[in-house]
Amino acid sequence: MKKMTKEELQKLKEGWGKEKKNWIRVGYSSCGIAAGADEVYNTLREEISKRNINIEIKKCGCVGMCYAEPLVEVNVEGAPRVYYGKVDKDIAAKIVERHVSGKMLLNDRIYDVKVNS
Amino acid sequence: MEKTVFIKDTDGGTKDRTREFYTEFINQLRERKLEDKIQVVRVADVGVYNQGVVMRLLPDNFLYGQLEMANIPALIDESVVPGKRIDHLTCHHISKQMKIVLRNCGVIDPEDIEDYIAHDGYQALAKVLTEYTPEKVIEEMKASGLRGRGGAGYPTWLKWKFTREVKSDEKYVICNGDEGDPGAYMDRSVLEGDPHTVIEGMVIAAYVVGATQGYFYIRAEYPLAVDRIQKAIAQAYDYGLLGKNILGSSFSLDVDVRLGAGAFVCGEETALLASVEGKRGYPHPRPPYPAVKGLWNHPTVINNVETLANISSIMLKGGKWFSGIGTETSKGTKVFAVTGKVKNSGLVEVPMGTTLREIVFDIGGGVLNDKKIKAVQTGGPSGGVIPEDFHNIPVGYENLQKLGSIMGSGGMIVMDETDCMVDIAKFYLRFCVDESCGKCAPCRIGGTQLLNILEKISEGTAHLDDLKKMRKISFAMQKASLCGLGQTASNPVLSTMSFFEEEYKTHVVDKKCPSRRCSRLFSYSIIQEKCVKCGACYRNCPVNAISGSRESGYKISENACIRCNRCFEVCKFNAIDRG
Ligand SMILES: Cc1cc2nc3c(=O)[nH]c(=O)nc-3n(C[C@H](O)[C@H](O)[C@H](O)COP(=O)(O)O)c2cc1C
Ligand code: SF4
Ligand code: SF4
Repeated sequence: MKKMTKEELQKLKEGWGKEKKNWIRVGYSSCGIAAGADEVYNTLREEISKRNINIEIKKCGCVGMCYAEPLVEVNVEGAPRVYYGKVDKDIAAKIVERHVSGKMLLNDRIYDVKVNS
Repeated sequence: MEKTVFIKDTDGGTKDRTREFYTEFINQLRERKLEDKIQVVRVADVGVYNQGVVMRLLPDNFLYGQLEMANIPALIDESVVPGKRIDHLTCHHISKQMKIVLRNCGVIDPEDIEDYIAHDGYQALAKVLTEYTPEKVIEEMKASGLRGRGGAGYPTWLKWKFTREVKSDEKYVICNGDEGDPGAYMDRSVLEGDPHTVIEGMVIAAYVVGATQGYFYIRAEYPLAVDRIQKAIAQAYDYGLLGKNILGSSFSLDVDVRLGAGAFVCGEETALLASVEGKRGYPHPRPPYPAVKGLWNHPTVINNVETLANISSIMLKGGKWFSGIGTETSKGTKVFAVTGKVKNSGLVEVPMGTTLREIVFDIGGGVLNDKKIKAVQTGGPSGGVIPEDFHNIPVGYENLQKLGSIMGSGGMIVMDETDCMVDIAKFYLRFCVDESCGKCAPCRIGGTQLLNILEKISEGTAHLDDLKKMRKISFAMQKASLCGLGQTASNPVLSTMSFFEEEYKTHVVDKKCPSRRCSRLFSYSIIQEKCVKCGACYRNCPVNAISGSRESGYKISENACIRCNRCFEVCKFNAIDRG
């Protein structure tokens, strides 16, 4: 990347465009990693590629709900945007199978729901 | 699915009715043949507490509380289906959190500078470099009322102004990421979750004071934070946001990382300077202040991570916007790491002026196991405890100080009735005694003496005179210590003594520990009249301190007992005495 000017900064910002439609964010700070975020992240990746789903998976920082780590936020069109907490390998696989593919939310695992955005 | 219904019983302590409600809701949907249109989900948390069975409806965004089974038909027919709100069931809840510092944490990929840029990253810097003189930035900062988040709460604009005014061809900015308080990890989270926002704040600070070199001082125990800030710095150089002629302007800044050597005192600014210079991290007297004589005797601004993380938002939205948040003297938000006996331990960011009760109960979900709250500790080893009676006081620098505590960097530890105040004081004081650099006598000797007395109290060998002596030593340490560590080390002692004097006296006079923490002051025994000889305690004692049989009954050997409390927990007949 060459050094930017102010104009190029604006261009880059706008180039990113609107938020992508479908994505998964995994809490990947010390608290998340300590709770097992690595395995969760890898499982999500595997399941996604197994099913050939087009969705972005992103490693993020800590949203603050450290008690519920590993935390996975899921946004897919046609279903509410939610945070799954205390996710392990099995739940990660179910998130892909049921929520991402089937648009059905998982019971007893949601720790927060994103409203109006 | 057209709509989603989230269900959760939010009452702690009583039988969880989530499942019952959920099943009935689904049954009633089936009766109406709506099960393919409306999805019902049981959730682990809905963000409100002690509101009975709660239901959230999306996308309508209605929130209902104190629900009974009998409400289900009306909920479906009058709310879910027509999309109308039922007023008398509505649960009025406004989120108490407000994210400025943590706005990007958990949202962006901290290792991708473009993600930060896409979220308005470096816009503030661009604005400052092209539109603002340093004086104008200082003006905005003054209007914002931002005060340092590292502990002392000194107005940031003033610090910058002083440093700017000192003439020197070399100046420095340092980001203090030493964060050594037990229980505090706000700064780590910001560095790990949104490193670029801290860099952006630092570049703006450097522009204002005229610095050409910046340092991140981060404790070596934070490898991930160090790694992410290093990656972020490298990317910022790549994109022309650090280094020569930033964003094509005439301003240049180099930034480097220095690792903290793992001593708490190195977070103190003069010790930190020595440490960055490669010397032993000893504090030295102020004045001269770092603004005048800092790193290698050049003017230096030292700001905390969270302080710097506020800058870009202030520059983008204006000082006035920022000062509209918070209280008269404490502006903006504060990030707290809420831990201890709280259900939802984690990071919260709230406007200044939020009460401790709101933080612990409305956001934190209340006390673990629904026990009674005893106190909240703020300010770490330099702070104090705040008993329940004061939990309605709006959080701010002055308010906490009046209560004998401090805002500190933002550690907040929730304590319940099983926490002993003598034990708490001992914990924090021992921390300071261990971390004292030993350079000055009041801290070195006073701290040790105080700790000795506290130990006597917890062993039942102290006298009432000792309490007076403790106050005296504490005051001497406050007055005569060289640096903040020694000056504030006795705060937890004084604070627990002033709010929980009776508890201290019970230890000293009655030789009892009401919270049963001080193991020398109580012992376990079996109340034979209540004991049904079930043997549960016998089987569960980890050190075999309980002997006997189902026929002859059981006995606890006081010498062998390690006071782990296991037998007390497993006995279903209240037959274990902890006198
Ligand atoms: C013993 C001791 C430890 C400290 N540790 C830290 C720390 O870890 N992080 C921090 O930002 N400030 C710490 N401080 C406060 C710093 O000396 C300084 O006031 C602060 O970094 C200034 O930044 P601010 O104005 O942005 O708050 C400590 C102070 C003392 C006395
Ligand atoms: S007060 Fe304590 S930590 Fe500070 S200089 Fe004196 S001995 Fe060292
Ligand atoms: S658990 Fe309680 S009732 Fe059972 S043997 Fe021990 S003291 Fe007796």
